[in-house]
Amino acid sequence: MGSETAQKKILVVDDETNIRLLYKEELEDEGYKVLLAENAEEARQQIEKEPPDLVTLDIKMPGMDGLEFLNQVKKKYPDLPVILCSAYGSYKQDFRVWSSDAYVVKSADLRELKLMIREVLGF
Amino acid sequence: MEIPTKIGLEILSEVGRISNSTMEVDTILIRTIDIIKNKLNIDACALYLVEGSPATPRLILKASSGFPADSASKIDLPWGKGITGWVAQHKLPQALSEAMQDPRFIYFPEIEEERFQSMLSVPMVYQDDCLGVINVHSIQNRFFDPMEVTLLKTICEQIVGCIRNALEFEKSQLMLRQQTFLYEISQAVQAEPTLEKRLWLLLIGIILGEGKGCHRAALFMLDDHQTRLKGTIGVGPDTDQEAQALWTDWVTPEQQEEFPHPHEKKTFAGLRKSAFHRAIQDIEFPYLQGNNVLADALFLETPQIVDTADELSNVPEELKRFTGVKAFVVLPLIAHDIPFGVILIDNRFTDTPIRSTNLQLFIRLATQASWVIENLRLFTKLIESNRELLTTKEQLIQSEKLAALGELSAEVAHEIKNPLVSIGGFARRLQGKLSRLKNSAPPPDLASLSQYADIIVSEVEGLEELLKNILLLPKGNKPSLRLGHLPALIHQVLDCFEMELREASIKVHLDFEKDPGPLSFDEEQIKQVLINVVFNAIESMPQGGVLDIHTSIQESGEGTSGAMIVVKDNGGGIDQETFQNIFNPFFTTKDTGTGLGLSICRRIMENHGGKILVKNNVNQGVTVQLVLPLQIGGLSNKT
Ligand SMILES: Nc1ncnc2c1ncn2[C@@H]1O[C@H](COP(=O)(O)OP(=O)(O)OP(=O)(O)O)[C@@H](O)[C@H]1O
Ligand SMILES: [Mg+2]
Repeated sequence: MGSETAQKKILVVDDETNIRLLYKEELEDEGYKVLLAENAEEARQQIEKEPPDLVTLDIKMPGMDGLEFLNQVKKKYPDLPVILCSAYGSYKQDFRVWSSDAYVVKSADLRELKLMIREVLGF
Repeated sequence: MEIPTKIGLEILSEVGRISNSTMEVDTILIRTIDIIKNKLNIDACALYLVEGSPATPRLILKASSGFPADSASKIDLPWGKGITGWVAQHKLPQALSEAMQDPRFIYFPEIEEERFQSMLSVPMVYQDDCLGVINVHSIQNRFFDPMEVTLLKTICEQIVGCIRNALEFEKSQLMLRQQTFLYEISQAVQAEPTLEKRLWLLLIGIILGEGKGCHRAALFMLDDHQTRLKGTIGVGPDTDQEAQALWTDWVTPEQQEEFPHPHEKKTFAGLRKSAFHRAIQDIEFPYLQGNNVLADALFLETPQIVDTADELSNVPEELKRFTGVKAFVVLPLIAHDIPFGVILIDNRFTDTPIRSTNLQLFIRLATQASWVIENLRLFTKLIESNRELLTTKEQLIQSEKLAALGELSAEVAHEIKNPLVSIGGFARRLQGKLSRLKNSAPPPDLASLSQYADIIVSEVEGLEELLKNILLLPKGNKPSLRLGHLPALIHQVLDCFEMELREASIKVHLDFEKDPGPLSFDEEQIKQVLINVVFNAIESMPQGGVLDIHTSIQESGEGTSGAMIVVKDNGGGIDQETFQNIFNPFFTTKDTGTGLGLSICRRIMENHGGKILVKNNVNQGVTVQLVLPLQIGGLSNKT
């Protein structure tokens, strides 16, 4: 819960309520401010309303999927870091993934995600 | 000199009577001799016919009078040799008062020729072809006057047409018999199911062929590598008596051409026991051109006719010793330009050359034998490729199933993954919070709660791992190989099941005496295989039993080929119908089973270049063999 993370805002985009909750609690424990969005549309509004320092983005979502949304975000906010989170690793082969800043396979163990966030934010 | 018309007419009518009464060459010849003896004052008369191929004709004594009784069949004169040969060749009569003084004279002790002083030899010419020679001999030195010469010439002229017709008739009869014989043999051969029996029949056919055929027939087959000709079947009697018995058994004079019925097994088995057949199994010759006459028959693609084995460089000593004859014939077996082997035939008990009339039949039988072999070879090939096709089809079905499984499991996995992440995530949080509480003072009794959380966390970890593997599998995932020890891995797996094993009071028996040593494999994946297999075994023994796990080294033709883990239970095995399905994805007999266990095991083993074998002993238990290749090379070729 270092003070350097205190001001950093992270937007968690995931269609699963429990996952959002888990990420929120875990990341808040790390000292981040956590914003939540259930789908791409909500996420877009959130970013406009209160631009975050980093986005974690689920790929498989109803409506616009994560990869498409990633594309839009990167066009509009090229400097906003996005970490893709997916239930499995097969998307790694998809070239659209390359424009993301990191790719994390979802796990109950969030240590890898936390590490990635610190890395992307430059701590 | 003209002969008196009366005698001329007499001869004409007597010859006419012969040709009206018979078509048999032998009878015609004997009756001709009778006529000659009536018309001429002589002591002996001999009738020779031309036989053999047009290239090497010979004169064979066919009928005689005034010679020792059994001499007739023994005289065999090459073309142009002796006075008789000269007469045949030049188609000119010769009257000799002192025959023995003639430089052309060849002495034949068989007919006690020294007894005769004078001879008259006249050719039998039909349309400019010499068909034979008639000789008359007298004991007293005498002069044959032109009248006598003309008389014999007249008899010859009259009888030659009659003989020719009879010979032609005989030839066509022979052809007819051979045709019938060939037909019957091919019918009989087709009725036999196996190649071996068919070949037996064909060889029997050869020795029973027209006019008792030959005495023995031996088959040498070319081996698969086309390097050696190996003795395979030998047909023929071992002794004279046996020879007699065999031919009277099989061939009665009236139905000489009738082929023995294949159902007469008694004779078949008897033939198989012959010393000749047993001896032939032990001999073989290299398949090299020029090395031996057997190989040469195949290389030259023509029958090899050997009359004097001693004089030929390509008749090896072993072959001479084996056959014990000077004269034999080697027939090549070739179909579609593929050499199969040779048939060697001989007249063991007379050591006489194979008769040329029979040779044609034998060549045809050999041709038939070649096609019998070729057909069966093609048929076997057909069956094989059909089987291959079927297994490929099975494999296709299997891979389709796995593809379907892949899609399905990806779907299922995704559905499971998210809840799993949150369950696990919250369990971790619970775990963390509880442990912090536990350490606070005063410590509340949260030890058991903390343990539950631990269990949730580790269960979820295991599930996540399993899901990961399922997701990876259908993609033919390349295992990430690392050096590891099987016994260590097996111990790890057994540790996971400590509780289950204790609860069901299952005894574990381990044996790593034959440890294949460090091996390359994907530890996670092989562990999963072991977990599945061991768990199946445990589930099969709810009332207790023995779980036997051992490692061993798999030997194949080329030496050590793989490491093997054997997992054996005595849980009663699998019933036959279930057993056919155990590798089908989603096939399960358990309430809580997914039916994916063994499918996944198979996939993992195959991705390793290995395999899984399940041996089922109904009512006893199941033995699973997991085979891993020792060479990583074999694997990288595959993926
Ligand atoms: N050792 C064994 N003894 C008796 N039956 C067995 C044994 N191993 C497998 N089987 C039979 O084969 C079937 C298929 O086995 P498999 O491991 O593929 O699936 P499962 O065990 O039913 O389910 P799961 O994969 O969830 O464990 C089982 O349901 C069982 O009927
Ligand atoms: Mg199972």
